[in-house]
Amino acid sequence: MTNPVIGDQQMPATHPVIRLDRLSKSFGSVQANKDISLEIHRGSVLALLGENGAGKSTLMSMLAGQLQPDSGHIYLDGAPVEFTTTDKALAAGIGMVYQHFKLVEAMTVAENILLGQPRGFWLGKASMGRTVRRLAEAYGMHVKPDALVADLSMGEKQQVEILKLLYRQSSILIFDEPTAVLTPAEADSLFATMRRMTGQGKAIVFISHKLEEVLSIADTIAILKRGEVIDRISAASIPSASELARRMVGRPVLLQVNKKPVPTRQVVLKVAGLQGGGLRGIDFELRQGEILGLVGVAGNGQKPLVESLCGLRRPRQGTIRLLGQDWKHFFSRQTWEKTLSYVPEDRQGLATCPSLDLLDNFLLTTRGGFVRGPWLQKEPARARAEKLLIEFDIRPPDLQTFAWQLSGGNLQKLVLAREFFRKPRLIVAEQPTQGLDIAAAEDVWNLLLQAREQAGILLVTGDLVEALALSDRIGVLFNGSLAGMIERDDPKGIEQIPLMMAGLESEASSSAP
Amino acid sequence: MTVEILIPLLTAAVISGTPILYATLGAMFSEKSGVLNLGVEGVMLTGCLTGFLVAKASGNPVLAFCAAGLAGALTASLHGLVCLVFQGNQVVSGLALTLLGTGLANYFGTAFVGQAAPGFTPVPIPFLADIPGLGPVLFNHDPLVYLSYMLPLLFWLFFTYTRFGLNLRATGEFPGAAAAAGINAVAYRWAGVLVGGFFMGLGGAYLSLAYTHLWTNNLTAGRGWIAVALVIFSFWRPGRAVFGAYLFGGIMALQLRLQAFGTTLPSSLLLMLPYILTVAVLVFSSLHKKKTGAPAALGVNIEPRD
Repeated sequence: MTNPVIGDQQMPATHPVIRLDRLSKSFGSVQANKDISLEIHRGSVLALLGENGAGKSTLMSMLAGQLQPDSGHIYLDGAPVEFTTTDKALAAGIGMVYQHFKLVEAMTVAENILLGQPRGFWLGKASMGRTVRRLAEAYGMHVKPDALVADLSMGEKQQVEILKLLYRQSSILIFDEPTAVLTPAEADSLFATMRRMTGQGKAIVFISHKLEEVLSIADTIAILKRGEVIDRISAASIPSASELARRMVGRPVLLQVNKKPVPTRQVVLKVAGLQGGGLRGIDFELRQGEILGLVGVAGNGQKPLVESLCGLRRPRQGTIRLLGQDWKHFFSRQTWEKTLSYVPEDRQGLATCPSLDLLDNFLLTTRGGFVRGPWLQKEPARARAEKLLIEFDIRPPDLQTFAWQLSGGNLQKLVLAREFFRKPRLIVAEQPTQGLDIAAAEDVWNLLLQAREQAGILLVTGDLVEALALSDRIGVLFNGSLAGMIERDDPKGIEQIPLMMAGLESEASSSAP
Repeated sequence: MTVEILIPLLTAAVISGTPILYATLGAMFSEKSGVLNLGVEGVMLTGCLTGFLVAKASGNPVLAFCAAGLAGALTASLHGLVCLVFQGNQVVSGLALTLLGTGLANYFGTAFVGQAAPGFTPVPIPFLADIPGLGPVLFNHDPLVYLSYMLPLLFWLFFTYTRFGLNLRATGEFPGAAAAAGINAVAYRWAGVLVGGFFMGLGGAYLSLAYTHLWTNNLTAGRGWIAVALVIFSFWRPGRAVFGAYLFGGIMALQLRLQAFGTTLPSSLLLMLPYILTVAVLVFSSLHKKKTGAPAALGVNIEPRD
C-alpha cells in the first residue's frame, strides 16, 4: 500500500485518465458550467484558473460526485461513468481535498484517516498508527498519527486530508484552492508533495486563482470564465504571470498598484511594551495616512496582537493607545463611525453571522447609524446597503441572501463595504485578500489605499507581495516580537524580510544563542 | 458516621444509582451519535411501565426487562423520526417526548397503581459478598446491578476501540466528515437513538422490576433529567458516569434516610437535594470550558443532500 503500482499502467500521453465531455450545470437561472470539455492526464497537474464564481468548484464537484451534471458525460479511461455519490467517485479513484477540511477535530490523525474503512470490529490502534506513519513517510509528510487533529496547524490538517485520499488509493486528486489557508512554507511543501504524487503517476487538478502558484506547479492550465473554458494552455508556453493574468481577466491587471503618497498626520495607534498571550514586547506607532504591513508566518503573534488591538483580549502588560485614548477608555465607549474598523481573517465566524441575511450582517457594525431611540431604521439601512452591494459588485446583489450563501470573495467584499461605510480612522485588516481572485484583490487593495487618506491601516498579512505593494512600512513578526521594522523605500532592508520571517536575522547579526 | 449507618447507605446508593446509570449511559450513547435526547424521563417511564406489565402478564422478569428496553427504543424512535427524518428541533422533540412518555405511562398505568409484579431479587455473589464492607455494598444485589457494573466498561471499549464506536463518534462530531468517509451518518444516528432509548428503557425497568415490585405513577421521579445532566457531568465518558450515578443515588438514599430519622428539616427541602446537586454539577461542569468532550455536532441535524 505504500507502494502504489501505477507506473506500469501509465498510458500514452494522448490517453487521458479522465475526459469531461460538454458538462453543463445550472443552479436556477445561473449557468455555473456551460459545455465544459477537459482532459486530465496521469502524472501531470491540470490547473483550473478563474475568478470567484467562474465555475471551477462546481465543475470539480461534478467530477467528485457531489453534484450531478445537467448534461454531458464523464469518461474514466475511455468508459463513460456516472458519479451519483462521492463514494462512487472515491471508489473510482477520484478524491477531493476541500477548502473546508472534513476532519473530526476531536479525533486523532490516524482515526481520521482510517475512518469508514472496513477493517473488522476492533480498531487495532497500534497497527493504525504504523499504517499512517508509513503512508505519510512515503510522501514526505510529517504528521504524527496519534496527534489530535484539533492541535494541528492548517497545513498539517491539509496533509491529513491528502493522506485520507492516498490511503484510499485515489489516483486523481483534486485540490480546491489548497494554498488559501497555508503559509508560504507550507505551500512549498504541499507543492513538493504534489510533485511526488505526479511522479508516481497520479493525476492532479489544482484549483486556484494565484497566478504564480499555477505557473510554478501546473503542466496545463485551463482558464474558466463565467462557467466556460475560455483558454487551455500549456504552462511552459506562458512567459510570465502578467501574461497569464491578461488571459484570465481579459484586461491587463496591474499587479503593482498605483500608490499615491499621502501625507502622514496624527498617530492613531500606539503600542508600547505589549506582552502576554505569546507576545514578547511589541512597540510601534501608526499614523493616519500610512499603511503598516505586518508580515510573518502564521502563529508568530498575529492573533494575540490583533485581538488585543481590537478589544477582544485585554492587554496583560504594556499599553495600547487608540485614536489618542487608552485601551480601556476606547473600548468602553465606542461609537460606530470614524473609529476603529476590524476586518478579520475569519469572515464566516468573526466578521459575519452566516445565517443572517446581508442586511442584518451590514447592520452588525453600522447599526449605530440607523437608529432612532430604541428603534432600528431598517428602510434607510436597506437603501444604503443596496447601493453598497452594487458599488462593491457583491453577487448576488440581494439583501435577503444569507451570508453563508455568498462565496468567499463576495463575503469579503461585503465586510469591506460595511467597514469602509463606517469611515474608519484606524483599520486593522487581517489577510484581507486571502481566497480572493485577482480582480477582487485588486479592488480591495485600491480600497485600502484610498481609505488610507482618512485612516491609519494595520495590514496583517502572510502575503509578502501584498505587503510590499501596499505598505509604507513593513514590520516583521517573529516569535511574538517585531524582528524588524523596514521602510518601504529601503531595498536592502526588504531583502532581509524573508530571513527575518524565518527567524534567521538574529543568527546572522549575532552568534550568541 | 458509624459503619452501621454507612454501609446500608452506600448499598442504597448503588441500588438507587443503578437506574440512573442505565439511563445516563443510554443518553450518552444517543449524544455520542450527535442526537440530544431530552426525553429520557419519558422513555424511562414507558420502559418502566412496559417492564411492569410484561412481568405481571408473563411472570418472567428477564423477558420483562428486555421488553422494557424495546419499549424504550420504540419510544425513542419517535424522536428519531422527528429529528432524523423530518429534521425537527432536537430540544423541542425531546421535551415533547418527556411529556408524551409521562402521559402514556400515567394513562395506562393508573389502573395498576398499588399492584405487584414479579421482579428481580438480590443474589449475593459467593465469597465476594462476604468481604466485610465491600461485600454488602457491591455484591449483594440483584443481577441487574451486576449487569450495570459491566456496562460502562463495555461502552468505553465500544466507543474507543471498535470501528463502530469510531464511526458513531465521527457522526456525532462531524457528520459531513463521516459521510465523506463513506459512513452512513443517518444510520449511525438511528443506531444512537435506538440503542440509547433501549438503555433508557432498561433504566426505567429497573425501577419497576427491582427497585420496587409495585407500580405507582411517576416512578422515575426526575431521574431522567438527572441522567441528562450526568452526561454533561461525566464529560461524555462512561467511567465518570458511574461516579456520577452513585453520587446521585447516594444523595437520594440519604434524603430518604434523613426523612426516616425524622430530622427537623422540612421534607420538601430534602427532596430538593438531588436537583440542587444537579444544578451544582452543571455549574461545575461548565467551569471546564475546554475539553468537556461534548460531541461537536450534538443537537445539530444532518441536512439532507439537495
